[in-house]
Amino acid sequence: MVDGFLIPKETAVLLVPIATIILGLVIGWLGQRSGFCSIGGIRDYMLFRQTRLLKGYIALIISAFVFYFIFSLIVPAAIPKFFWCLQEGQLFTAIGGAPAVGTVGVIILMIIGGIFVGIIGTLLGGCPLRQLVMTSEGNMKSLIFVVGMLAGAVIFTALLSPWIVQAFTAIGL
Amino acid sequence: MVTDISEKRKGVDTYLKIPLLGGAVIGFAAALIQALLFAAGGPQAYGFCVACHSRDLINYVTNSLTGSNLFLAPFSANAVAAGTLPVLTIIGVLVGAAGAAVLYKEFRVKKGDAKSYAVYGIGGILFMIFALCMGACPYRLALRIGYGDLVAVFGLIALIVGVFIGIKIAMKRMEGK
Repeated sequence: MVDGFLIPKETAVLLVPIATIILGLVIGWLGQRSGFCSIGGIRDYMLFRQTRLLKGYIALIISAFVFYFIFSLIVPAAIPKFFWCLQEGQLFTAIGGAPAVGTVGVIILMIIGGIFVGIIGTLLGGCPLRQLVMTSEGNMKSLIFVVGMLAGAVIFTALLSPWIVQAFTAIGL
Repeated sequence: MVTDISEKRKGVDTYLKIPLLGGAVIGFAAALIQALLFAAGGPQAYGFCVACHSRDLINYVTNSLTGSNLFLAPFSANAVAAGTLPVLTIIGVLVGAAGAAVLYKEFRVKKGDAKSYAVYGIGGILFMIFALCMGACPYRLALRIGYGDLVAVFGLIALIVGVFIGIKIAMKRMEGK
């Protein structure tokens, strides 16, 4: 234990690519076998009252909560802000998104972003994980979607994010 | 003997096909990665995110090709600064899913027409822009809610509303045809 962490920073940074690629392999495999899809889960429930995929998404939220809680007891330094909404004055403080704006701004971006992510995901047949998996299954449309996602990421960080921060700061959010 | 192995594989596969297990594994793995590697830098609840991890990867590639200085999350930025690579989750997902698809003979090339490619390309760009507005794809959204980030609850409600609108639009279009 160094500074309360299981692995010191120098080693941890070296493990980032290895750990995440293993995580990706596991999730990719499970995603392909189960057809896991977050947006698909909500869609199937609304359309057919089918809960197979929705259970997966709910299990994700519950499992994240349970294991963050367990690990916060074992390595408190690594899970520093677990349920910090319960701390005074932190009720609606987000734990880190890309554009650095105030609380109200983050909530507005969350709502706008969430609605459009939901619409696009529903119309084009799946959440981003599903699109990655379908790409690996040989779906060319999903491949184009993923390429579009990568282009969108560069456009957002290079052009839109600074603009959003400026605009929100200007109107005081 | 050969049938034994394939029987066994089939037995495991029936469990792997349950989305509930997939969700539980993603939640566990994301928490484990944070517990092990948080020293590498934040943000919190960053164990798995298709949108943010794609952004880190593509921004890293763009930065190294063009010498630009696009944003990476500290988790990836510190790894790059130490001379290694940023998060490779996306590559892992693509390879893992391809492996499963080939092994179970579910790999089939499906082509679309030019119009559908244009729709999916623009859809992908817009999807990523709005996901990064949220600072989360639906997966990190779930992780953030599990982490106790109440702001992410607004995102989930908005996502549900979005899916509802999406279904309505799809139904309108089907009626039109």
